[in-house]
Amino acid sequence: MKSWHRFAICITLGLIGGAAFAVHQVRGGLADGTISNGAWSTGKSFGTVEASVRTRAQVALSGLLALPAKEAMYFTAKKDSDGQPLDGRCTYLVSGGELAGRWWSVTLYEGEGWLVKNSANRWSIPAHAATKGEGGVWTFTVSPESQAGAWLPTGGVKAFDLTLRLYHPSAAVINNPAKASLPAIKRLGCT
Amino acid sequence: MRRWLVPILAGLVLSAGAYQATLLATPYVLMNAAMKKIGARGPENRFAFGQMATADNQPIVRPSPDLSYSTCVFNLAKGPVLIDVEPVPDHYWSVSIFDARTDVAAVRSDRDTGGKPARLALVKAGQKAPEGYEAVRLEHDRGIALIRILLADAEEFPAIDAIRRKSTCRAL
Repeated sequence: MKSWHRFAICITLGLIGGAAFAVHQVRGGLADGTISNGAWSTGKSFGTVEASVRTRAQVALSGLLALPAKEAMYFTAKKDSDGQPLDGRCTYLVSGGELAGRWWSVTLYEGEGWLVKNSANRWSIPAHAATKGEGGVWTFTVSPESQAGAWLPTGGVKAFDLTLRLYHPSAAVINNPAKASLPAIKRLGCT
Repeated sequence: MRRWLVPILAGLVLSAGAYQATLLATPYVLMNAAMKKIGARGPENRFAFGQMATADNQPIVRPSPDLSYSTCVFNLAKGPVLIDVEPVPDHYWSVSIFDARTDVAAVRSDRDTGGKPARLALVKAGQKAPEGYEAVRLEHDRGIALIRILLADAEEFPAIDAIRRKSTCRAL
């Protein structure tokens, strides 16, 4: 084998491997610089010049045109509060108390962030639509089948995620999202 | 085996370069695709007033079905672009300016303006904002201006739609 053959092989493999690893990381979802809080995770540098090269690429793929934290924070859950992946064939109870911001909503997405077709044509539960209980506690049910009270349909998809949008979050949440009081996601059963 | 040492090292160095280059290019490529898709809804430097997001209408990834989105793909190549946002009383609204790299150059909401209109002049180095407009400096020619308005429920849409259509995006 000639010398240039060896260079050609290694350079080609290097270029393909490097680019493929970057694509794999970006498609793998946000992991770089994220903050965990129970089932939820978020980042503090979305949409800002401080975002790392990797965060910017990941946000461009799964949350293009996201706002910076002072305006809105985005918390995403791909697992329930027990760490099990969210499955659209299962029923979940989402419950929480007052969230420290001006307005919130929880939206259900599949894949990289697409709304799911469902019979109720409902894709999110905004704060005012959740079922209110005692002591400021609110709940809604995530399920493939129609539920009493506030119901967020899964459309029966295999995997989904929930995105909690908190607009004009309080300074405490912006500065320390890991300690913010966020909803619990409890699996009730699967069909 | 030693004859492979230098080619392998060269391959490793280039793989790190390709990794970094791919990450750096990703936002530009995806933003460009978004500008193409959103730009197809209307001319450059004009707001397109989109319908509410549903499973059948998702112009961008991760849309919120609670917000009405109005978008303007702007181009500063021929001069500044002026954004005038009509306020919607008693509703959250904001206008955000995204550059070609996906970074936010500015966000102004009803909280920032005290319920008054937002008036932004998108300018590049060497361009001046006209009187009465807040200058937003950009390094790239192109980007997206996005107005979000929060709806309490779907029935509000016609009333909100009439108000938001008074907002303008125009080349100076």
